[in-house]
Amino acid sequence: MEINEILAISMFGTFILLLFTGYPVAWVLGGIAILFSAVAMLMDHWYDAFIGIDWNYVSIVIPRMWAVMTNWVLVALPMFVFMGLMLDRSGVAEDLMTNLARLFGKVRGGLAVTVTFVGLLLAASTGIIGASVVLLAVLGVPLMLREGYSKELACGTVCSTGTLGILIPPSIMLVMMGDQIGISVGDLFLGALFPGLLLAGLYVTYILGVGFLRPSAAPVSADAETVSLRVVFSVLWAVIPTAGLIIAVLGSIFFGIATPTEASGVGALGATLLALSKGRLTIQVLREVGRETTKTTAFIFALLLGATAFSLILRGLGGDELIEGALTGLPFSPTGIVICILAVTFLLGFFLDWIELTLIILPLVAPVVAALGFDLVWFTVMFAVCLQTSFLTPPVGFALFYLKGVAPEGINLGHIYRGVIPFILIQLVGLCIVFYWKGIVTWLPAAAYGP
Amino acid sequence: MHQDKGETPTGEVSPSLQPNPATLMDLDHFTHHTALPDTWLSRKLDSLLNIIGNLMSWTWVVLMAIIIINVVMRYLFDEGRIEFEEIQWHLYSIGWLFGLSYCFVADDHVRVDLIHDRLSLRSQAWIELLGILLLLTPFLFIVLWYSVPFILYSWQVGEVSDSPGGLPYRWIIKSVLFIGFALLALATLSRLSRVCALLFLRKSPPRATVA
Repeated sequence: MEINEILAISMFGTFILLLFTGYPVAWVLGGIAILFSAVAMLMDHWYDAFIGIDWNYVSIVIPRMWAVMTNWVLVALPMFVFMGLMLDRSGVAEDLMTNLARLFGKVRGGLAVTVTFVGLLLAASTGIIGASVVLLAVLGVPLMLREGYSKELACGTVCSTGTLGILIPPSIMLVMMGDQIGISVGDLFLGALFPGLLLAGLYVTYILGVGFLRPSAAPVSADAETVSLRVVFSVLWAVIPTAGLIIAVLGSIFFGIATPTEASGVGALGATLLALSKGRLTIQVLREVGRETTKTTAFIFALLLGATAFSLILRGLGGDELIEGALTGLPFSPTGIVICILAVTFLLGFFLDWIELTLIILPLVAPVVAALGFDLVWFTVMFAVCLQTSFLTPPVGFALFYLKGVAPEGINLGHIYRGVIPFILIQLVGLCIVFYWKGIVTWLPAAAYGP
Repeated sequence: MHQDKGETPTGEVSPSLQPNPATLMDLDHFTHHTALPDTWLSRKLDSLLNIIGNLMSWTWVVLMAIIIINVVMRYLFDEGRIEFEEIQWHLYSIGWLFGLSYCFVADDHVRVDLIHDRLSLRSQAWIELLGILLLLTPFLFIVLWYSVPFILYSWQVGEVSDSPGGLPYRWIIKSVLFIGFALLALATLSRLSRVCALLFLRKSPPRATVA
């Protein structure tokens, strides 16, 4: 093995090790990049290793960062974050919850279905797993427990629906993924829509199934009112603004009216107007949403800058060819290789956040997958579903910890673990369906550009 | 540090939804932050960086307005303006580059805290110290060092946008990269002083609030 390959592998190993110290990931990435370029130069100096990294090469990191600064597509990212935070503050979540609960009141498992619908509508907003899981947990779990739902069902519903936010467009994860591997963000949005809805549909089917088979786990609310026309109207009144906003954002991209960046600005304004119409928009709220947007965007871009430096040096060490060689050298068919990549992603997702995986792993594997003849939009959506599933999986799924952090008394990790197991199985079913029927992903983007 | 995240007006919530939505966004009560003692230097620097960060947070509202104006002009007057698109990424990069230090002061940069949370405060402080000295400082130094000739060159040749109608004075926006990282270096200095105060100034016990 060449010295540069040993360095590339140890660079990666050092990264994984240092992650667990809990030092901020962005600085770990950037710091390792600088340290390993110094090591590579010493190796050239002492052992004539001919790696060829010098300070001139390291300085390329500046034009790379400049390229991030001038990236017009990524402008959408803070705007979607702004839109999500504003929707959270606008109070639409509570409205949706109350109204949809009335609509589904007579159905067994109706409350859990309500949580799924609210999650689906809000999923479109944040794409920040922590925020959506916490929101749903705080709104939904106490309500479900009071009605006598099983703790497992309540926890499972909240975790799985909360993580759907990273998949359902307009998700900031998809913006980042599209940018990293150079495919259209609009295509990714459209491609991820049906898989996201499919998963939500599978959740609802499961919840209704539980209500049918084990009525004690999902009882009908004692004081449920009959669904009258008035109820239906008030539900529509509550749902239309939020749903309309999301449809407007996605629709304008779908019909080519607006670029994702333009749509994100319009979405942010829409969310602000929604908050205004609910009487929740104060200067205080606007200020706080702005500050939270700054912090969220800053940590995402800190990671992006760190990862830029990291992948520059990894490439200098020949890490790209190393990964490519390792993957294509696997004794599997192309399909087997893709399954292998997804499995590794799933495992890495246990302890890495989507940002790191999108920035480090996805750009390394995407060219290989494309060379094997797979559709990159399809692969990226599969990658996204994989990540979402790994956030649900014990022992270290992020969603589970977020839920534990805000769950009411009487819910322990055991309930949460048992609760998510059926949903993990549903995820795997969904993953298989999308794997075999690629059209679920590819049809809508193709239709958008059709006649 | 998070005094700005107090109660927000929430309006009326149906009585069936007891949990207070004001707490929804506040992930702080379960995201652990290393509780370090403040120092004279860190208080000065942090309040300066917070003022700058708070001010810069209005960038997003301005950016939103610019995007809307651009969209409206394009549809109503059929007039796509390249400078509006350039202003958009100017604003966006100003927003997050100034945000780097703001986020650092708030200690909101992403950590993998599986093990970190279970360590003692002293161990966490040692990690911070080594991390700052061995990882963050070299990174900061390289970016600051190599961004100077990058900006100077742009200034010397009077670089302007490639696109017709684009914005002039590229060196100004390029300088924001340097400024963002210089502020981050100040934030790092502030944190370094806090870590050292905990680790090496044993006389004054930490007044930190334990999370």
